[in-house]
Amino acid sequence: MSETHIADSVTSGARETRLGARTALIAGFGALLVLMAIICIDSLHTLAAFAANNTEIRQDFIYREQTLSQTRTALYDSADVMRDYIFVESQPDLQKTLEAELQSIREQTSASLEACIQRLPTGQREPFENLEREMNRYWAMLDPIFTLSDKEKREKGGFLLQNEVLQQHLRILAITKDVTAINGDDLRQAEQKTEQVFGEFRRRLLIAGTIALGLGVVLAVATVVYVRGLERSVEEKYEQSVAARNELHKLSKRLVDTEERERRAISRELHDQVGQSLSALLVDVEGLASLPDEQGRFRRGLQNIKALAETSVNEVRNMALLLRPSMLDDLGLVAAVEWQAREVSKRTGMLVDTVEENVPDDLPEDQKTCVYRVVQEALNNCAKHAQAKHARVSLKRVPNHLKVTIEDDGKGFDASRVRGLGLVGMNERVSQLGGTLKVGSELGRGTRISVDLPLASV
Amino acid sequence: MKKLRVLLADDHVVMRTGLRALLERQANLEVVGETENGRETVERVEALKPDVVVMDVGMPILNGIEATKQIAGEKLNTAVIILSMHADESYVMRALKAGARGYLLKDSAATDLINAIQAVSQNKSFFSPKVSHILAEDYVRVLKQKGEVDTYELLTDREREILQLLAEGKANKEVASLLNISPYTVETHRKHILEKLNLHNPAELILYAVRKGIIR
Repeated sequence: MSETHIADSVTSGARETRLGARTALIAGFGALLVLMAIICIDSLHTLAAFAANNTEIRQDFIYREQTLSQTRTALYDSADVMRDYIFVESQPDLQKTLEAELQSIREQTSASLEACIQRLPTGQREPFENLEREMNRYWAMLDPIFTLSDKEKREKGGFLLQNEVLQQHLRILAITKDVTAINGDDLRQAEQKTEQVFGEFRRRLLIAGTIALGLGVVLAVATVVYVRGLERSVEEKYEQSVAARNELHKLSKRLVDTEERERRAISRELHDQVGQSLSALLVDVEGLASLPDEQGRFRRGLQNIKALAETSVNEVRNMALLLRPSMLDDLGLVAAVEWQAREVSKRTGMLVDTVEENVPDDLPEDQKTCVYRVVQEALNNCAKHAQAKHARVSLKRVPNHLKVTIEDDGKGFDASRVRGLGLVGMNERVSQLGGTLKVGSELGRGTRISVDLPLASV
Repeated sequence: MKKLRVLLADDHVVMRTGLRALLERQANLEVVGETENGRETVERVEALKPDVVVMDVGMPILNGIEATKQIAGEKLNTAVIILSMHADESYVMRALKAGARGYLLKDSAATDLINAIQAVSQNKSFFSPKVSHILAEDYVRVLKQKGEVDTYELLTDREREILQLLAEGKANKEVASLLNISPYTVETHRKHILEKLNLHNPAELILYAVRKGIIR
């Protein structure tokens, strides 16, 4: 009782441990998968951002370069316009056109510069604002020239252009060079930053990858250990079940042996002691009955005793035969089987034929009993379950084997599905002696039980 | 008249004592010895050459059937009566095959033993009435179950006559002189009888006669 409890608690403890291990493994694999998914998403995201960023940087750079180049072009264009304007005299229409053209260049350039500045982050605006300022001063320098008369233009125009305007012109060109340089620096900085971001990403990837790999290795090891544990426990269980089955076989053999021994002992006791004593009693009673008895008083009593003793002898004999037929020991297997066949036939009305070939009377005890019990059980089945009209028992001795078949013409059964009918017990008895028992039966087509029992070569 | 000499073979002392008391009341019988196993019985029979052995079936060392076989093999002119608890055909058949001439049930031994000893000493068979009864019953039952015709009907009157004489234990020569025919004719009849009744040896023939109630 207490052992059972301990065994139960051990089993349940092992089950809990295994349950815990399994949960841990599932959690581990889940975490690994999540980690790998995160790495994947992060990588895709970073690569996309990186690609976008790179494009933006290049576009910004090109845009700024374009703006600068436009500014430079505007300078040269405006210088050309101004030169033309100074040399043109007494042509108010042409002058107006030139003035308008300058105005157009100015507006375009200012708008481009302003737009460029607006697109820049506040920190990077300064060089462009400086440029804008100088450009505005440049434009402002040009404005007074349009107010000059033809005479004044001839006198001062060339000077103005060559000195002040050209100076400013050169300054602006210098500024645009500076800005270009700064722009280049910016590009490099942006590229460096991208490089840095990329590096960080690489580091992150490395760390996550390492963690994933480590986790994977740990999980693989844990899984192998877990599976080994399972295998071992399955092996243990298997060995236990094999041992249990062997034990069961041994037990059942002992049970069968013990039962047979007991039956024989009781049968002997009944037959030889009780039966013989009663028979002897009958002989004595007969002797007494032959004595003179004038009033017949004793004779009547003796007749009662005789009748009683006769009934008792019959009962004792029948009981002994039921337990174990004395023919089996006195006359051998064939006689016992023939008797059994007659008994079943008498009891049930089923016709039983017995055929015998070369079966020796001195079969070993175990084989004799085994075959007898199998035939007994089988004939009972034929009569009781199969409701057969006719059954046939055949015992045949071939070299080193005893072949026994019991067939009937009863209703049969599905041999692949039906167990029971004492078949398990028969099979057990036969297999204990190294023999085989086959059951062939089909619904409506009778039953045939074949036993093949090895005999030691004599 | 010469007394019939009887040997009692049974491993149960009470049984032997009862039978001895019974036999000793008969003036023409003499119990010459008691044995309690088969081997001893065979030896004592060889030494004492009794007229009749009353033999229990279940005895140690050598059982009654085997002992009967050996005694019959000696051809000592000793008749064997088997004493058994069982009225079953298996026992009767094997007792007859072994060479026993009488078959008695223990529960009716006291009533029939004297008659049995007288009968077998005159070379006749003897069976307890209960045995004849049971064998006959079995015979009729099997015939009915199988729905077969009784093969006895196939025999001619002469064959039936010869069957009875043979079953009573008479030799061909005796039958021949009784019926005033030649022993060869008796032999031919005997063969026909065995064939028609599907019998194979004298033991089966006697058993058949008992079943049919031809002898008892």
